[in-house]
Amino acid sequence: MLYHIVRQNLILLPAILALAVPLAPAATFGRVVPIGGHASDIALDEARGVLYIADYTSGRVHVMSTTDLTIGRSITVPAYPGSLALSPDGHYLVITHYASSAGAGLSQPGQNAVTVLDLNSNQRRTFGLPSGPVGVAIGIDGLALILTQDEFLLLDPASGATISLGTVASVQSQTLPVEQANFPTQILAGAMTATADGKHIIGLGGKAPDDGSTSSLMRFSYNVLTRQITAAAHLTTSPSLGPRVISAARDGSYYMTGWALVGCGTGFLADCTATGPILAQWPHASGALNIGSIAIRSSKALIYGQISQEGQKAASDSQTVCLPNGTCVTVTTPGATPPPTTAAPPNLLILDADNLTVRDRIQLSENLAGRSVFNSDESVLYSISDSGVMVLSMAQLERAPRVVASQPDVVFRGNFCNSGPITQQIDVTDPSGNAVPFQVCLANSSSCTAPGISITPSAGVTPAKVKISIDPSRIGSLIGTQAFLFELLSGAAVNMPPPPTRGRAETVTANVRSRFRVLVNNREPENRGAFFNTPGELVDLLADPARNRFYVLRQDTNQVLAYEAAGYNLLATLRTGNTPTAMAITFDRKYLLVANDNSQLANRYDLDSLQAVQPILFPLGHYPRSIAVSGKAVLAASRVAGPIHTIDAIDFNTLTAAPLASLGPYKNDIHSGTTLTAAPNGSSIMAAMPDGRLLLYNANVDAFTISRKDVGALKGAIAASSFGFYMVDHFLLNESLVTVAPVVASGDSSAGFAFVDQEGYSAAVSAGGRGYLQRVVTTTARSPLPTMIVESPTTGDTEFPFRRALAPLADRSAIIALTTSGFTVLPWNFDAATAVPVLDRVVNAADFTKPVAPGGLVTIFGSQLSPITLSSTDTPLPTVLADSCLTVNGVIVHVSFVSPTQVNAQLPFQIDGNAEVVLRTPGGISDALRFTILPAAPIVFRSGTAGPLTGIPTIVRATNNELVTVSNPIHLNDRITIYLTGMGQTVPVVPDGEAAPADPLSSTLLPATVTLGGTPLSVEFAGLTPGSVGIYQINATVPFRGVPTGFDIPLTISQGGLTTTVSVRVVN
Amino acid sequence: MRLFSRFAMLLLPLPCLLTGQQWEFGGSAGYGLFRDVKVTAGAASGSAGFASGVAFGALLGNQMSRWVGGETRYTFRRDDLRVSSGSAQATMRAQSHALHYDVLVHGASKESPVRPFLAAGAGVKFYRGTGAETAFQPLTNLVVLTRTREAQPLISLGGGVKISMSGRALLRLDVRDYLTPIPSSLLAVPPNSRISGWMHDFVFLVGVSTVF
Repeated sequence: MLYHIVRQNLILLPAILALAVPLAPAATFGRVVPIGGHASDIALDEARGVLYIADYTSGRVHVMSTTDLTIGRSITVPAYPGSLALSPDGHYLVITHYASSAGAGLSQPGQNAVTVLDLNSNQRRTFGLPSGPVGVAIGIDGLALILTQDEFLLLDPASGATISLGTVASVQSQTLPVEQANFPTQILAGAMTATADGKHIIGLGGKAPDDGSTSSLMRFSYNVLTRQITAAAHLTTSPSLGPRVISAARDGSYYMTGWALVGCGTGFLADCTATGPILAQWPHASGALNIGSIAIRSSKALIYGQISQEGQKAASDSQTVCLPNGTCVTVTTPGATPPPTTAAPPNLLILDADNLTVRDRIQLSENLAGRSVFNSDESVLYSISDSGVMVLSMAQLERAPRVVASQPDVVFRGNFCNSGPITQQIDVTDPSGNAVPFQVCLANSSSCTAPGISITPSAGVTPAKVKISIDPSRIGSLIGTQAFLFELLSGAAVNMPPPPTRGRAETVTANVRSRFRVLVNNREPENRGAFFNTPGELVDLLADPARNRFYVLRQDTNQVLAYEAAGYNLLATLRTGNTPTAMAITFDRKYLLVANDNSQLANRYDLDSLQAVQPILFPLGHYPRSIAVSGKAVLAASRVAGPIHTIDAIDFNTLTAAPLASLGPYKNDIHSGTTLTAAPNGSSIMAAMPDGRLLLYNANVDAFTISRKDVGALKGAIAASSFGFYMVDHFLLNESLVTVAPVVASGDSSAGFAFVDQEGYSAAVSAGGRGYLQRVVTTTARSPLPTMIVESPTTGDTEFPFRRALAPLADRSAIIALTTSGFTVLPWNFDAATAVPVLDRVVNAADFTKPVAPGGLVTIFGSQLSPITLSSTDTPLPTVLADSCLTVNGVIVHVSFVSPTQVNAQLPFQIDGNAEVVLRTPGGISDALRFTILPAAPIVFRSGTAGPLTGIPTIVRATNNELVTVSNPIHLNDRITIYLTGMGQTVPVVPDGEAAPADPLSSTLLPATVTLGGTPLSVEFAGLTPGSVGIYQINATVPFRGVPTGFDIPLTISQGGLTTTVSVRVVN
Repeated sequence: MRLFSRFAMLLLPLPCLLTGQQWEFGGSAGYGLFRDVKVTAGAASGSAGFASGVAFGALLGNQMSRWVGGETRYTFRRDDLRVSSGSAQATMRAQSHALHYDVLVHGASKESPVRPFLAAGAGVKFYRGTGAETAFQPLTNLVVLTRTREAQPLISLGGGVKISMSGRALLRLDVRDYLTPIPSSLLAVPPNSRISGWMHDFVFLVGVSTVF
């Protein structure tokens, strides 16, 4: 009885766990060690196995064991310990005490002071300081650099002697007593750290109080060896530079403070200074000083941190930075952003250290709140948190339960051949292999799903296979591709989906761990183009004029995706700066340039090697958003953290950019959303602004010659031709930027435009949501009727209203468009009348002879079979590829390749005997072609290649896993695998178009025999090849004796009365 | 290997039958040079054979009279297969084992400290391709280098000199030309290719032996 009860409960356990998902409290990561006060700083003493925690409010330094994470003792020190530093030899712990008051008596009196603890003798000395200390760090020389509100002091911990290294200005911590709910980072508003080699100290001091909206700062670096303050720059930022911590890479080549990743150090652009370039900045920061932390994990080139994202604020255009040379600029984070509706829970971001791309995001139990330090092997992170200290083990982090979907997008391709239900499968897993309960839900839906979409199972435990079924007839009116966002929820997992790109507000739903899109397309016969799924936020598209390639800018992962245009395959993925916005190719066609909205750099890539080369450095506070290349000047439209945004000129000799003094007779004062486009012949660059302004740079006179504002707002397409025409929004403009005619209907949304010779191509979205492409004759501004695209082109958004969503390929083979699922390939003659397909013959795909069998791969030859050449490796194979779909006896057939003269497909398993094949294309329906399907027709593929040899039968020796050839002959006692098609039905049945499973294997229904030189071979397996569609294999062993040797020994396969023979070489 | 064993069993008793003689046992090392053979396939032509390489050997001999002796010799050769035509070449690791009996006619009596001699004999040579097989090998239109094994009859011709170093130790300098038919399983010719001739393997050995 007890057994049955236990067994029954065990069976129900996964279901109970799954149902409990929404009810369970959210799992979090990190072990919190409370201290009963407010931690202001920490210092790790690995030699003694302890972490020193300065408790600002209790006037103690807690000593926490790093072994058992308990606080064994607390050292009472003078009041208000604000910062700590441990000498490199572990001899001294230097503690600064910030106690500046406005003369009002504090109930717990204190003084500005520094205490030196001799950790060897347990002796301590306290020295008074003339002004409040903001921070302390110790260099390799063992001397402590103390930043006070008035000066830099160098303290020798051994003797207590101090030297003043100079005065400081604009550093002002809060006066005590402060308002309640203020934390040490908000009171002190400073941070300092020494590089791992101890040769540099980097830090900053702020002006407090700082409410998170605006920071006034002094950033500095100190060269320990020369005892020189090498840089001390004053700047303001908006939002505030929070969290107020600083972390440097071990090699000193970069550091991060607040939301800014700053480059410095030998090997980059200059010697290590505090005024290095901003490599990247986190686009979601709220500016809170007391929430979050930063720690660089140098060995992995990752940054671990929390950067507060709550209460995002609008960017300010009026903050200034005053450099020592008198130049003033201002640093901001990007554009106006409404506050989020729901605050994100405390979370740890794991970011790439070069461009802050989010690798992972982990939910924490409470906010980090100050300095973080890794131990020497970077296996444990200690961080100040709300309660005291949080300890995060990197090994445990890797094993922490997560829930992720196997793919970001699941694409359903219905078509006019088949509007019936389609099912696909995704894997829901925990990369660490844990069994984690989860639930699948449609985002923003109370019912978790949508009509016509079923998820089975909708809840489970990882690893799990989830089937998604789509019934297009129940989804309702489908126009183009409809996207449904699904969420994986789990109360047991700790991962979180990455925040949205740019400064958009994040809507947080409890227990959402990751997301995936279900994309449903049900194309109509009049739709043109083949769409390729490319997940992510694609914001720019550029065809290479010198190579048969095109480039897609993926903003959410900070990448350029380089595709070859022959097969639309991904050639390379290039890393960009943070928030890439636009691309351009240099006039010599050698380099690709990428503008970044959250980096002071524009990336540069060698297009021959597809490798990054030295980037272009923009002035501090300039963030290039758009770049255009003329025959004379290379210009960038920069969002400037200052009073005005500017057009900057790029100098390729120095790889720097500088704002133009003026734009000809006009002020260099542009809109932050200005987008540039260059004429292909290099004669001009047009600048379009969302407020309706237009500018034209004339390369012949190297000046801006036109400035107009004829409309109140502009957005959408932007393009320039080599023949004096321009396109912006709905309007075709002449060479004076005067409107010639609108080329997009007034109610439609302009998405993209491209000029080719005297013609143009306009991509737009109708008021009803249908995407279309339209040819435009520029000289007459007349357009034929539009052609519907299989899915809608993407349009710009509020922050980046202009979009380049169309790119004709250099070889004029196709036009690429950015569309809902990724990109769509349209034939060059997309709007040409199409001819009815003509079928010539059906043959097997193995050797192109007549015998074919159920489930086998076949090739259909003919003419007008498809408007473009396209192949698919998706599984299940699509039922429509490009614009072609095929039926056999009325049954939809899965196809893997289409071209104007050839279609490759898999015959249905259920059909044999006489059959008729019909092909449907946009040109019409072919006549039926009759052919015979045999129960079995085993044919060995002749597709093997070895060096220059082709047409080799696909027989593989198990010994070396290479094809059998004269130089790799079959030996006696060898095990061989023969790959073939046409072996008919199998057990168990594998659905048409789907890859055969590895477990269980699917064996042929009709047995197969194999002889070599007349001697039977032992057949161990005959059936479908796991992971492949329509491909069979026979595993056989050659006997030890009895097989003749020679160059042309017949290998004969017999099945169902049909035999096929190939000649192979056999040796002893 | 079974063939090897049978042949060894035939050869080894020969000296043992000659009783009452002075015996000699020794080992040697040296280098071997092959002479390639010509191969043609239509208009294409090239050469095929074995690469030169190290040689190691052992011998068991006896002195049947003052002037005449005999010895059973084993020689290992590291001789990679090769085929070349113009600048194209293919190679495959290989080795061979020669086992033969030679009759030695000395130019000096057995008491002489320096004894030049002529040698002639016969035996068997076992060729073995040991390299990795790959689906593509250059020049397979001429010859396919094959990982397999093959035995061929061997004729041994040569000579040398024995130099007495002490009462029982001899320093030996040997040279042999091992002639075998072409091992057509290792140097396999496709149907349209032709190869002819004998394989000459010139082996130079320096060794020591002891008499008892």
